[in-house]
Amino acid sequence: MKTESLVKKLGLQLFFTGPTLVAFGVTILLPFLYGLYLTFLKMENVTSVGEFAWFNNYVLAFQDDKFWTSLWLTIQYVVYTVIFVNLLGFGMAFLVTAGTRGQNFFRAALFMPNMIGGIVLGYIWQFIFVKLLPNIGEALDVEYLKYSFLGDETQAFFTMVIVTVWQSAGYMMIIFIAGLLAVPRDLIEASMIDGANAWQRLKAIILPLMVPAFLVTIFLTLRNSFLVFDLNYSLTGGEPYNSTELISMLLVNKAFGESSNYGVAQSEAIILFVVVAAIAWIQFHFGKRREVEA
Amino acid sequence: MKKSTLYAGFVFLLMLAMVVTGCSQTTETSTTKPEENTATDPKKEEAKKEPVTIIITNGKGEISKQWEQAAKDFSAANPEVTIEAYSNVVGDSLSAYEKLSTSGKVVTLAMFEPGSLLSKNNGVGIDLSGEKWAGETADIAKDATGTAVGFPFAIEGYGIVYNKAVVEKAVGGAFDPYSINTRDKLIELFDKVKASGVEFPVAYQTEPWSVGNHYGSLFLNQGGDPGATLASLNNGELKLKDNATWNGLLDTMDVLASEKYNKFGKRPLGKLYDEAHRLVGSGESAFLFNGNWAYDSLKALPESDFGFIPVPVDNDASNVMNTKLSAGPAQVLVVNKAATPAQQDAAKRFLNWIVYEAAGQDFLVTKSQVVPAFKNIALSVTNPLGKAVGAAVKEGKTMPFSTNYINAGDYMEKIGPEVQKYIDKKVTRDQLAKTYEDYHATLKK
Repeated sequence: MKTESLVKKLGLQLFFTGPTLVAFGVTILLPFLYGLYLTFLKMENVTSVGEFAWFNNYVLAFQDDKFWTSLWLTIQYVVYTVIFVNLLGFGMAFLVTAGTRGQNFFRAALFMPNMIGGIVLGYIWQFIFVKLLPNIGEALDVEYLKYSFLGDETQAFFTMVIVTVWQSAGYMMIIFIAGLLAVPRDLIEASMIDGANAWQRLKAIILPLMVPAFLVTIFLTLRNSFLVFDLNYSLTGGEPYNSTELISMLLVNKAFGESSNYGVAQSEAIILFVVVAAIAWIQFHFGKRREVEA
Repeated sequence: MKKSTLYAGFVFLLMLAMVVTGCSQTTETSTTKPEENTATDPKKEEAKKEPVTIIITNGKGEISKQWEQAAKDFSAANPEVTIEAYSNVVGDSLSAYEKLSTSGKVVTLAMFEPGSLLSKNNGVGIDLSGEKWAGETADIAKDATGTAVGFPFAIEGYGIVYNKAVVEKAVGGAFDPYSINTRDKLIELFDKVKASGVEFPVAYQTEPWSVGNHYGSLFLNQGGDPGATLASLNNGELKLKDNATWNGLLDTMDVLASEKYNKFGKRPLGKLYDEAHRLVGSGESAFLFNGNWAYDSLKALPESDFGFIPVPVDNDASNVMNTKLSAGPAQVLVVNKAATPAQQDAAKRFLNWIVYEAAGQDFLVTKSQVVPAFKNIALSVTNPLGKAVGAAVKEGKTMPFSTNYINAGDYMEKIGPEVQKYIDKKVTRDQLAKTYEDYHATLKK
């Protein structure tokens, strides 16, 4: 009797989750494990036959200055994008739920940038930073705008931040709108009767109730920014002199471009995975504690 | 009843598993193992008529359509050969050959950059020196073991590209690019163009592959064999700091990038490829450094015409470096050792088809606009830069294509960005020399 119900449970489980498990296993888990295995091989490039080399690749990875420089650059990029995407996303969500006329139009319009793929977006903005803004700078005689933004380390870095914020803020806005609409009206009304002003309402009621939404958006921006490749590739391509080469692009170039570094790049990818996973876990763990029930 | 749910679950999984293994099985059958076929080797003559399937990969993403069509045309003439044609995706860091090989398929005929035959693709190809077409070309490429493995598919060259209309207007008549055989004459020409009303004669595009892999490897031509220069650089004998050619090329680069002549002189970096080609194509500027493939980006106006000036290294008009274009096979086709004899034979017939059949020549020269490396091919390309390279080859005004001697991936990642820093005045020439020497020291054998 007991075993039969267990069998039945297992069967049901397999019926519903089996396909997903297989898909997950084949497309994520197996490649990941295979990738982990590759880090122990000395491989010159993707077609070479590897020899077992223990942790040699990891030793080389830890000694690789370029990797750490790029990781540090990526962390700076993550900090800027997480802050600005969420601030702007929340601000926009606040405005388009305030009951102004045509707010549905603005919601759709602000979400639009997210519908454009990263590669296309990169090329569009490249035209703006290399051609359009310098032309405007020339016409208005503004020294800062006159030259290609992608020829200066700092300016090129911020072009990536600008485009990321422009692209992602609308998406996060949708999540924030859902969060804002879920704040119970009666709480707001009660606070108004008690004489709370708009700032107090935001601080004491809306923000605490929005923590789950922030958890999701911060996690998404963190992950997206850490692993960004398409935008980096098409917008700056690492220019000037690889000073804007973020970590994913560095790893791709190292694995498939340079000679004799496939195994090292693979182990650096694993280190990146550990770093991102740790940061995401910390963020989630501490964020979860701040959640409150309405 | 209860069991049936379990069965349903298992049946579902089984079906999925079958789909997955089914896929991998077809992969295996299509990849005939070499050992199996060596067994049928004695019957090779019979095997020739047997149907055979080969995979061919093309490294020039821009001619992927022509490549597929060539495969179809060849198969139509040789029905027993089925060809699966693949091309690299422009900008993809992983080549079609690498993708297919790592997924367990055997690519019979692969297109590589000749430089890669010395490093990662060394040992892939079979000896082709006995082929009939080998007598029609001087550009068969060798791998690191010295075996002639590379069928020269495309001749390419680079130099200082100029807009004919602008230059002819400035000099007041016909212009012979080979008359510019010293750096001072080049500067004089820039001044003339400037005087004719072009504020910035040069639009210097500075992508890392251009300033590193192309311009940055030119110094390997020192009048002799670039391979010898490379070897002495690798073992530390050649000191770039004191090398006249290396310094001379950088002196010329300083002129190209200078604020006086370069449209982007104030900030010479920053993804300027498209803009530079638009400027030179439309005649707003007149010069840039690039190869014959630049024509696609240059042809802004229908009647526009372009040519090449060799990059001058000094002011000695008798220095051959000042009068020759760096040109050579930029892509070679290699027949894979791992393919079966029948497949190798089919691939060799495809190569012969390209060189000797009208349809093959038409595919290579007319349709793909590739400058051929074979004396017997009378067709010539219509693209003016390709024509200029073809003419230089015929007149003996070329020296080896320096990019073929370096490791393209390494130069792109390690040297190109450093040359960019030099152009942006972030590092000195001595520091750049050290970067080159340190990198090449890691290649010491």
